[in-house]
Amino acid sequence: MTTKLALEDGYFHLPDAEHPRPRLIGSYSADADEHFFPRRKRCPITFGPVEDRPLSTEGVLYSWTWLQTMKYGTMTGGGEPHGIGQVDLPEGVRVQTRLLGAMGDWEIGMPMVLDLLPVTTDDDGNELCTYCFRAKREGD
Amino acid sequence: MALDDVYVIGVGMHRISGEPIPVRDMAYEAGVNALRDAGIEFDAVESLYNGYITGAPMMGVTLAKDFGLTGASVTHVENASATGSSAFREAALSVGGGHARCAMALGFDASPAAMMQGGGRGMGGGFASMFGRPSVESVLLPAAFFALWAVRRMHEAGTTVETYAAIAAKNWNHARLNPYAQRQADHDVTVEEVLASTMIAYPHTSMMAAAVGGGAACAIVADRAMAEQVRDATGHPLVRVLTSQLQSERYTPGHVFMGAVVGPPELTRSTSTAAYEAAGVGPADLDLVHVHDAFPVEELLYYELLGICGDGEGDKLVAEGATSIGGRIPFSTDGGLIGRGHPVGPTGLAQIWDTVQQLRGEAGARQVEGARTGLAHMMGAGSVCVIHILQRA
Repeated sequence: MTTKLALEDGYFHLPDAEHPRPRLIGSYSADADEHFFPRRKRCPITFGPVEDRPLSTEGVLYSWTWLQTMKYGTMTGGGEPHGIGQVDLPEGVRVQTRLLGAMGDWEIGMPMVLDLLPVTTDDDGNELCTYCFRAKREGD
Repeated sequence: MALDDVYVIGVGMHRISGEPIPVRDMAYEAGVNALRDAGIEFDAVESLYNGYITGAPMMGVTLAKDFGLTGASVTHVENASATGSSAFREAALSVGGGHARCAMALGFDASPAAMMQGGGRGMGGGFASMFGRPSVESVLLPAAFFALWAVRRMHEAGTTVETYAAIAAKNWNHARLNPYAQRQADHDVTVEEVLASTMIAYPHTSMMAAAVGGGAACAIVADRAMAEQVRDATGHPLVRVLTSQLQSERYTPGHVFMGAVVGPPELTRSTSTAAYEAAGVGPADLDLVHVHDAFPVEELLYYELLGICGDGEGDKLVAEGATSIGGRIPFSTDGGLIGRGHPVGPTGLAQIWDTVQQLRGEAGARQVEGARTGLAHMMGAGSVCVIHILQRA
């Protein structure tokens, strides 16, 4: 069985026996009573300390787009078409993220859930993943 | 801060294009054009601020030798898309602060074609070093980032793709009046044509995207005594820099830290509020405006954030043609980032070039009648907002 690993450390916890979904790692500032993502070195509002907090695995779609081509003006680049979005979590955090799905799958305000997006494999055959969001389905 | 007695005495450009023209040649031409415009020689320039993002760190001071070896202070300024604006700000502050009587801001960058030939860091190059690796926090493609703004705006205010296309078509057509613009359409560009071009990131088509090329632009500022000498010698009216403002992000609810291209739109509101206060003018006093219109949704939102109209009323301005040359408050009169192009280092200085020409009454076919006060706004990824207000004295 393929093992899933995080492509980058420090952004999310992989699913485990207790938590079937990945969980984003945010920062919480007790002084400001605010959460942030990705993690901050200190509170950007009060400059006080922050602590790591796992964030909610569900949110609401704030905006989306379907990136059809990597062209920007006359510049070109590789890459397959894919969705990009921003998802608002209950903690007040807006997460910029890849979206699973295709053009037409998304509407602003729809419920979204966190998922894993395989990006590549390492030399040992492990699947390296980053986080993404997709539309919430029945049964989620 | 308000600026006391800082004036633009000379401006110059090299055409923006996708051609692989050596940066050295473009920078020299723009600089010499500005010196000629001011009727001065390089030995009058006490401080030179070079704005560029694609060259080697020592390129600016090396290129300065082409103007002469005078011992002038030479500094490299880099602030993403706001690089040219930031170089201009440094020049204005050096004169306003009494550190130089005359300072020059020179923006230049290579086209992607030239970078392919000669290497270079490219847009966003080197960002990985911040994290020690390529990261999900790297800059998101601007076409996608601003598409998120565009889709949200359609949801909140009912903006249509035709409105976005109308802004882009306007700027393409303004560029037709600017011989230095990258995009030179041979016909009047229509909304339908913009909508029919290649889809990049919904709702953005390729004709809505800023043109990316190379080029150079230059502006020279001086104190009042020198500006009056230049005025008397050249006949150019005095153009005063009323204020220079630069702000970075403040925390806002739902703040996006991840891979942000530019910060929350409110950054433009807070920077322009400070600019109006320092300059002693308001949005109703403006005769023309330049903005960071990398995509049309930006220009639309900036109508409102700069206080040109109320929130949610920007679409109406477009429908009325108010922001076209000949309209109530023309935006992007030289074609903006979409039409004139966005070579990055020169972009903010190209805005100053057009604004000065407009305030002097020398803008030819794109002249805004009776223009006396102009505002130039740029965003720099990361992000910062830079605003200058210029006025014919």
